[in-house]
Amino acid sequence: MSDDSITANIAQWTKQNAEFTDPAAQRHWASEHIFWGVFSIPEDEIGSLGDVAGLDVVELGCGTAYFSAWLAKRGARPVGVDPTPAQLATARRMQAETGIEFPLVEAPAESVPLPDASFDLVISEYGASLWADPAKWIPEASRLLRSGGRLVFLTNSVLVYLCAPEVGVVTEQLQRPQFGMYRIKWPEAEGIEYHLAHGDWIKLLREHGFELEALHELRPGEDAVDPGYYDFVTVEWARKWPAEEIWVARKL
Amino acid sequence: MSSAESVAANIAAWTRRNAEYTDPSAARAWAPAEFRWGKAGVPEAELDVLGDVSGLDIVELGCGTAFGAARLARLGARVVGVDPTPAQLETARRMQRETGLEFPLVEAPGEAVPLPDASFDIAISEHGAAAWADPQQWLPEAYRLLRPGGKLAFLHTSPLAYCCFPDVGQITEQLQRPYFDVGRVIWPGDDGVEFQLGHGDWIALLRDTGFVVERLIELQATESAVTHEYYNDVPVEWARQWPEEEIWVARKP
Repeated sequence: MSDDSITANIAQWTKQNAEFTDPAAQRHWASEHIFWGVFSIPEDEIGSLGDVAGLDVVELGCGTAYFSAWLAKRGARPVGVDPTPAQLATARRMQAETGIEFPLVEAPAESVPLPDASFDLVISEYGASLWADPAKWIPEASRLLRSGGRLVFLTNSVLVYLCAPEVGVVTEQLQRPQFGMYRIKWPEAEGIEYHLAHGDWIKLLREHGFELEALHELRPGEDAVDPGYYDFVTVEWARKWPAEEIWVARKL
Repeated sequence: MSSAESVAANIAAWTRRNAEYTDPSAARAWAPAEFRWGKAGVPEAELDVLGDVSGLDIVELGCGTAFGAARLARLGARVVGVDPTPAQLETARRMQRETGLEFPLVEAPGEAVPLPDASFDIAISEHGAAAWADPQQWLPEAYRLLRPGGKLAFLHTSPLAYCCFPDVGQITEQLQRPYFDVGRVIWPGDDGVEFQLGHGDWIALLRDTGFVVERLIELQATESAVTHEYYNDVPVEWARQWPEEEIWVARKP
């Protein structure tokens, strides 16, 4: 089932890279701070990563790899993994421009050609966490981690999934049932997203050897502004209900 | 509002509701039946939250008329019911005499339970302490009461359902109120005080208390479920599409 979503998502992100992530790459790579999600909430406020210096980190669904670049600036040894060649080409150009070099691997998160137990931290920010099949990428994350290593990923909240109309900005109306949620193709999108209910994330994480550490339901600050390119939700909505969430789990 | 005030408000609310509903329906609730969870009516046999309870020491926090404790007692558990509302415990005692099913009943709020440390294998709450006691206080009490390896299982209204209730009347398909920083809830025209947390806040509080989070079971009303005759503010059609109730399962290491 996930083979077709990998192909569809490569097509979507090739298009979105041309539209946005390639032209924005220089700005994203230049940041000296780590930000989460479409409202650029500072990691310093959330504290989901801890000290990453000296850690082996793999980013699943790295896109243009700006998040890995931020971690590299803090002393981590990142490896970026993404299935979309166009985004990895942008990442390589940014590596050449900035001199911040780290390995980039072309692969979907459902099947990562890297050895078992070789990382201290697996990260995904709207990468595998939204675009890969959780039944396959969560086991991969577990396999890649050393015992005691952490998995930290950001994705859309369940409430965003429930309240998003087929086309347009998130509403205050429940648009679809929660029971049965897992995989969705929005009518105007090429790609396929995966959204799990909280109980299902916890079940899946525990089945694959993780202990749950935190669920950070993100709230943008009072001075936050509406997202630019990723305009699925307004700041007014996201101040009342979580639009994004970060899961933190530890491999036992 | 202090927790003494919310305890007093909830004793008043449940004294009234006991006269209206939980006392007159107690004989039916105490009749031999399988253990089911919530208004959704999902059988324990399907969820396997508790496992084999035979021979286990179980405390129910906010037991009301103690029909849930009675069902666990029939399965061979040694149960203790704890509730702050004298009227509900009076109903529970009457049902114990009528059925001959005897177990200790303790008058106390979930926030301060006069029972010894590490004396239970399971702490359970079904719309009891889980809805009406301050989680900052009752979760540490549950932890204290449990033996190492013991299990906490509690059911309450989901944060999604909370967000979709209007001030008065039936649940809607519209977000009516914010999700963040809820805590204490007093509904207009109601006499009780409820406590509501988002999922991330429950996880943080459980972990800060020392628990390992094992499961979150978001309950779907069964095909055979019908809208509850008394707690009728959630039509079963809503509860088949979205979780009105949820069960958290956590373990004391």
